[in-house]
Amino acid sequence: MKGKVISKPLEARKASPLIVSLSAVFLGIAAGCLFILCIGKNPFAGFERILFGALSNTRRVGNTLGMSTQLILIGLSVAFAFKTGLFNIGASGQMLMGGITGSMLAYYLPMDMPRVIYLAIVIVASMAAGAVWGFISGFLKAKFNVHEVVSTIMLNWTAYWIVYDFIPRFIVDPTISVKSKPIETAHTLRADWITDLTGFSTMNYGFFLAIIMCIVIWFVLEKTTLGFNLKAVGANKFCAEYAGIKVNRSIMVSMAIAGALASLAGLTYYCGYSNIMEMGKMPNEGFDGIAVALLGNCSPIGIFFSAIFFGILKMGRGSLAATGIPTEIADTIIATIIYFTATNVILANFWNGLFKSRFERNEARCRAAMDAHGDKRSLEALSHDEFNAYAKEGKALMKEGK
Amino acid sequence: MKKTIAILLVIALAFSVFASGSKESGAADGKLMLGMVTDSGTIDDRSFNQGTYEGVQKAAEELGLQCTYLRPSGTTTTDYLTAISDLYDNGYRFIACPGYLFAEAVVQAQEMYPDLMIVIIDDALAAGIGPNTVAITFKEQETGFMAGVATALKVQSGDVGFVGGLEIPAVQKFNWGFQQGVAYANANLGTSVNMDPSNFVYQGSFADLAGGQQLAMAMYDKGVKAIFAAAGGTGVGVINEAKNRRLAGQDVWAVGVDVDQYSVGDMGNGESCVLTSAMKDVAGVAYDQAIAAANGTFKGGVHLNLGVAEGRAGIPASNPNLTPEIEAQVADVAKLIADGTIVIQDTADGLIP
Repeated sequence: MKGKVISKPLEARKASPLIVSLSAVFLGIAAGCLFILCIGKNPFAGFERILFGALSNTRRVGNTLGMSTQLILIGLSVAFAFKTGLFNIGASGQMLMGGITGSMLAYYLPMDMPRVIYLAIVIVASMAAGAVWGFISGFLKAKFNVHEVVSTIMLNWTAYWIVYDFIPRFIVDPTISVKSKPIETAHTLRADWITDLTGFSTMNYGFFLAIIMCIVIWFVLEKTTLGFNLKAVGANKFCAEYAGIKVNRSIMVSMAIAGALASLAGLTYYCGYSNIMEMGKMPNEGFDGIAVALLGNCSPIGIFFSAIFFGILKMGRGSLAATGIPTEIADTIIATIIYFTATNVILANFWNGLFKSRFERNEARCRAAMDAHGDKRSLEALSHDEFNAYAKEGKALMKEGK
Repeated sequence: MKKTIAILLVIALAFSVFASGSKESGAADGKLMLGMVTDSGTIDDRSFNQGTYEGVQKAAEELGLQCTYLRPSGTTTTDYLTAISDLYDNGYRFIACPGYLFAEAVVQAQEMYPDLMIVIIDDALAAGIGPNTVAITFKEQETGFMAGVATALKVQSGDVGFVGGLEIPAVQKFNWGFQQGVAYANANLGTSVNMDPSNFVYQGSFADLAGGQQLAMAMYDKGVKAIFAAAGGTGVGVINEAKNRRLAGQDVWAVGVDVDQYSVGDMGNGESCVLTSAMKDVAGVAYDQAIAAANGTFKGGVHLNLGVAEGRAGIPASNPNLTPEIEAQVADVAKLIADGTIVIQDTADGLIP
């Protein structure tokens, strides 16, 4: 933080994405307070209940992390595609493909298999299934210019009906014919030590997988040629092509990786968080992931924290409802936050304007003080402390002038 | 670096808020709080969820207690268990769970929360009923039987049919009871109603309105005069088809299920295409258990199988589409069921499965 402030004037005048995201969260929560007030309840009590429901004991913290697991992975999936300029709205379908692959393997692989090998097979297989599912969209986009929003939505329904057909065909629960047979705990991602530690929560190995994936995706995007290529395609497809990057290949790779991430989320959801799959259910998490990615500014670390934030809201909504405030309020808060995140240009402009005017004001003060002192240096040559001191002095000078 | 510090600050801020806000609120005045968790449907489903909540609500109003319901975020055991613990941790010590989907969640919850009174409706909890749990099932065959008698007396001759949702015991028993009721009327009350196996089908879903309507269309086309629809939302499709046909001048009927579905069959002219309904008094049992819980007479560890004798199954008190004579005859049959003269089997032996 030492150094010369003025040497980076552009950055100093720009709002960081973190501030934009936090103000979206703040506005969303403020709107939520307003809604709770409208139905005649105490908003602070309401939010206290949300936090109570999400974090009041180890079991609830575990459940919140268990819920966040899917959201982190879906958020990563959406963000990764987004970096390549693609909108992956098919995370739900990719989740279903990962889930059905994992569930079927859990059902048919022998129980006496070593756990490590079993987990490795299931994780690789379901990621492969999702990668294929994502690749189809990427292929259609690259070869036939089919818009990925259309193809991923279509593939969502294809996956939905595949699951609808596969559950009764292969893994049906004989007592309740609309869902799959519960998977034995040894064949889920749950681990006894986590379950014991968190008082029978839904937290499972998936959470660690999600953290690993955050690091891997960060590494791929920031430190590899592949990541650079993908980002270049996202920034400007034509420019990237001119620079010799294979745009079509990048699109297919990006969608395949996004699909693999989403299907890993499906695996953690259906074979970790839950242990069954139901017929005729499209997982909402696929769409929540878009919000997570937006709020997290598509950066892995941002996604991690925004997913935990959404996890808290989702786990806390039950407690909120138990006090007589409708759960729809929690959903409305989530929706409002998404809305404000989506309009982040407005928020960013607001903050940028604020920063800029503040900075310019300080600059003017500083100049006035320097003139008074007869200091002939340029602004760029000042150190941080000098600048602040001059600005303070200038403020006083200007007041006197009036 | 700057960003990281900012993030850390936010987390610290967030946790300081949590720390200040984690006191147990719950029942401040020590009074029992009554809760309910909905299953896959909504609270206003005119069936199971609504019935149960009405019962709980009535008890709460009478005794001046607080009551609420929770709609879980999904329909897996995890979601149900989360909803139950949300209620428990907020001070609710009585929770009604309508539907067999709750079975696994209730088995886990009764162990986790020994001081929680749980009522599960429509499942006998084969895995073991805890000392704090009451499992309630209904003798669907008895109410199905009464609906069968009423239907046979109304149509006198010709064909009747059945559309079920999923092939689960609760629905099957409705079907078997209905067949025995029609057969009883044929043998003892002078009707000659025909039951063809092709007209007794399970649609495979409780939520496929269009599917139910298609099945009904095919049956009515074949000349079926009345269809017993024990299929939730799918059954509403059957009722809609009956409505269309009646409005077009055809003399066909639908028979409702679970609650009095007369209003579902409202044709907009003050009449209804729903002949009668094979009811299970979900609201009544929920009310009874809630009152017992509040009065300290709640007795767990039992499985109650309730029927006509207990006044918890039967057809509605008022059936505008049945003549008073038919209602009287059905009431006589109900008496015979209650005192054990008529024994109705709850298996498929000798019936259309």
